Formats: sequence, structure tokens, C-alpha cells
Amino acid sequence: MSTTTDIELPAPTGRGWRVTSLEVLCVVLVVALLGQQWIAGLLDDFPALRTGSTVFVAICVQAIPFLVLGVLISGALAAFVPASLLEKLLPRREALAVPIAGIAGVALPTCECAAVPVSRRLIQQGVPASVALTFLLAAPAVNPVVLAATAVAFPNEPGMVWARLAGSLATAVIMGWLWTRFGRAEWFAERALARITTNPGESKWAVFTQTARADLVDAGGFLVLGAIAAAAINVAVPKSWVETLGGNIALGVIVLAVLAVILALCSEADAFVAASLSALPLIPRLVFLVVGPAIDVKLFALQAGTFGRSFAVRFAPATFVVAIVCAVTAGWLILGGWR
Amino acid sequence: MRRETQNILLVLLGGALLKIALNGTYLRYVKPSQQIWLIGAGLVMVLLAAIAIIRDLQLRPRDEKADLTVASGSTHGTPSSDGSVTTLPDVATGSADGLDEHDGHGHHHSSRSAWLLLLPVFAVFLIAPPALGSDSVNRAASRSSTQAGSALFPPLPPADVVPMGINEFANRAAWDKAGRSVDGRKIQLLGFIVKSGGDTFVARLSIGCCAADAYPAKVKLDGPNLSGLANDTWVSTVVVVHPGSADKDTDYVPSATVESLNPVPQPEDPYEH
Repeated sequence: MSTTTDIELPAPTGRGWRVTSLEVLCVVLVVALLGQQWIAGLLDDFPALRTGSTVFVAICVQAIPFLVLGVLISGALAAFVPASLLEKLLPRREALAVPIAGIAGVALPTCECAAVPVSRRLIQQGVPASVALTFLLAAPAVNPVVLAATAVAFPNEPGMVWARLAGSLATAVIMGWLWTRFGRAEWFAERALARITTNPGESKWAVFTQTARADLVDAGGFLVLGAIAAAAINVAVPKSWVETLGGNIALGVIVLAVLAVILALCSEADAFVAASLSALPLIPRLVFLVVGPAIDVKLFALQAGTFGRSFAVRFAPATFVVAIVCAVTAGWLILGGWR
Repeated sequence: MRRETQNILLVLLGGALLKIALNGTYLRYVKPSQQIWLIGAGLVMVLLAAIAIIRDLQLRPRDEKADLTVASGSTHGTPSSDGSVTTLPDVATGSADGLDEHDGHGHHHSSRSAWLLLLPVFAVFLIAPPALGSDSVNRAASRSSTQAGSALFPPLPPADVVPMGINEFANRAAWDKAGRSVDGRKIQLLGFIVKSGGDTFVARLSIGCCAADAYPAKVKLDGPNLSGLANDTWVSTVVVVHPGSADKDTDYVPSATVESLNPVPQPEDPYEH
């Protein structure tokens, strides 16, 4: 369990007078208040900056409630679900437990931000990492809310729903199996694996609130970082060049996969964006739907913050490739050929 | 970062969510159904911070070392204020050794990231970014979503002037080839003005989840006295479509003759859904 340390900035002189984060916060708040007019003026002069700031706030406002839900579930797992119960529920063989975790993703109908703290807590509670990571990838993509949104966005293509379900589930399960085979525990940052040490005298509610609060502080900053990146790219990348790709499937697949990563849309809305890219064939748009919930810049920031950087730089690219392959295969089989 | 500072950040961020959820500005960023989520999340954040603050105050008079164990390993640092840290050797000296020890657990890094929580707080309280407008319409790709087929387009009511969303109007003009339901009809549209390449459009953005996935629908206006209208002016306008104007050459953007046009205040919900 990471968290709450008292990091004082070392005083310039080394001894005596110390600046704590509390004083830094006060100074930052005062400076921000004084500079408000200047910042507001800047936004009026640069419309792109104004659009970007709106998109930034929108992504934060959209994602934070889901993150809060995630840390509450995470806190509840830590406080009320004994590790032995999870061990009993899951099959002993990891290879078997992985697909079950994929299907269990249906039970968490939220955006991807909630799944990150939950799966970390699962690992800390003794669930094999491969199983928890499968859950991480499956939960945002295969839940009923997302599938219903996809059905609404593609009224004339019922196959898209099934292709998305199959592609996302396959991505999650294959990544889980790959982790069983190649994954290493040392890629996780120490804080991600450390178990909670519970004091016998402590009430379960105290563990619950402390864990949820610590997870929120930990992950919140990284969510904001991801939102900044996504907002900047959202404004900087003109979407018109996507339309010019025309019917080239291979090029479309690559471009839309990259677009899914950098736009960082929430999985409940991406189907409508995919539907709007009607100049492109269906398979690239399916890739967009399968890659987006599995990996994007916002998720990458969250994963790096939660599990550690050396985990994220390995897991994210692997997810990206596996998701593309699974989406193309599912599309080819279910939608019937290259279209 | 100190535990107190984290609590203050949580209260600020939770307060920011509550503020926009309760005063209605959240509609600039997300869809209406998100309100209840925002209120819930804001309350939870403030509550978690409040519990931590109360807890720290209760624990303060006791031995600091006892706090470390009681606090479930999630409070590695001291929950007390500056004056009472002296019982903790590594922190009390403020030496580099104390910092390094925390670093070894990866605490330092993750703790620093919490400063970023200030950015949405500043954005909401100091800037309050406006709803997306003409700038994002000009930035976005043209859109032609719905497939042809009149089954999707029920007939219009027989009224003299029919109010309609701009997205639906553009879709009907482009794709209702069998029913031709908008041809010759007076349609009332609500949207904002977008100037582009000498033409004047009335446009509205639709969002599925939040403003990051906004996509525009627009109608090219044809009429006198349009040049005086500024970008982002909200108008209510009655138009009659030019039949067949929304085709491949125009990127499926219909044009229409303006019958009347009045500036109106921005609606509470600036987006279509």
C-alpha cells in the first residue's frame, strides 16, 4: 500500500526552516488567484486553448466519478472480502481462471478508469496477476452498457456488437494467458504489490475509508495527466485526415488503432464516434472499438501510476498489438470478410 | 506530500465537482445523466477527506509511533501537524535519509502526482471553460452518420413550423431520400453561428458521453443580413431546405433559406444528445 508520506522539501539551508507541501499549496493557490485574469485573457486570445481546456475539464468530470466508484470497490475488497474467499471462488488453475475473469468483467458496467484500482486490489488480495489483468481489460469493454451503446450506434450492423464482444473478450483472455506465460512480478512497482497490513484492533470501516482515500490520491493525479494528454491531442489532431483514408483497410486499421489510443474516449461513447467515421470500412472501426477500452493515453497514465512504469511500458504495447489482431480476426469472422 | 495537503486537495476537487453539478455548468462538459454521478463523487471525496481529517485530529494527542501501526499501513507518515512530528526520528530531522526511505517504497513518486489534482480545481473555479463552440466545429471532420433508409425517419407532424434538432435536420436532408420529409417544410433550428470561408452556418454539437467525443452538425444559411452575425452567437432560426443540397459534394451539409432569425440566449444544455 503506498501513500501518504510526509515529504518535506528540504530547506535551502539544509537545517532549521522547512517548507512543507502545505505552504507550497498556499503559495500556489494565491498565485493562481492573482493570475486568474491573465489566464482567462489567454483563453480568449487562443481559441484552441479554450477548446482544449473545455475538453480537459470534460474528460476529468466524466472520468472522476468512475474512478471514485473504482476506489470504493477497491476499498471494499480490501476491508470486507478476505483473500481466502477469492481463492475459493477462482479455479486453482490460472489458465482456467483467466477466461472466468474475462466473463466476470460483465459485472462492472463502468468506464475503464474504475477497473484499474479494482484490479490492483485484486492482485494485493492474492488473485493471480494474469486473472486480475484480464479483468482489467475485459470490464470496460464487454459490459452490457457498452454493448447496448454499440447496438444503438450501428443500427444496421448487428454484427458489430458481437464482433466487439468477441474481439474485446479475446484480447483480455489472450493477454491474461500471455501474462501467465511471460509476465514477471518484478515489473510491478513495489507499492502495487505490497499487501495491506491490517491492525487487529482496527475496524473494517476504517480500513475501507483509508484504502479508498489513498487509492484516490494515488490514481487521481495520473488520471489528470492522462486527461491533459488526451485533450491536447483531441484539439491538435485534425479529424478530417481520418476521412481521407478512404477504403484502404490496412491503413485504416493502423490509423484508427492509433486514434483510439490518443483520443482516449470513454468506452460508452466511442461507438458513436466510430459510427460517424462512415467513410471507412467496418473493420478499422471495429479496431477502434476494441483498442480504445483496452489501452489509451489516459489508461496508460493510470497504469503507470498504479502498477509502475516498467509494467506499463511492457503491458501497454502488448495490449495494443493483441487488441488489433483480435479485432481484425473477430471482424473478419463475424462481419463476413473484409468490409 | 503531507497528508493534510492531500485532504485539502480532495476537498477542493470534490467541491469543484459539487459546484458544477449543482449550478448547472456541468452541462458544458457532460451529458445530463452524469449529474447524479458528479454529486455522488463530490460527496464521497469530501467525506473521505473529512474522515481522514477527523481521524488525524483524534489521533494527534497520542503517541505518534502508535499512529503508524493503527493507521493500517496506509498512513506511513505522521498525521500530525508540523509542531508534533518530533517523535518520528527520520521526519523530525528533515534529513535526506528520511526522504530516501520513503522513496524506496515508491511513495515519493506517486505522492508527487497528487499535485496534478489542482489543475481541474483551477480550471473549474478560476477559468470555468465555456461549452464547445465554433472553434471545435471548424476543427472537426464533416459527419455523415446515418445510413440511407426512410424507416429511420418517421413523418413530421403537420404543424406550420416544426422545431427540430440540427443533427436530425441534417440527417433527414441528406438521407431521407424516400420520404423527403423536410423538403418544402418550415423547420425551426436552435444553434450557434459558425463562419467559415465566407459562408455562414448554424451549428450544434452532439455528445455521446462528454465534450471529448463531441461531433458537429451544421446547416449552411442562405439569406440577407447574415454577415453581421458573429461566431458563437446563439440563434433560433426558421429555415426551408434547398432540396438535394446535402450530397457528396457538400460533405452532406445541407443549405437552407432563412425565413426568420433571432438571437437567443445560450440554452442551459448547449449540446444535442
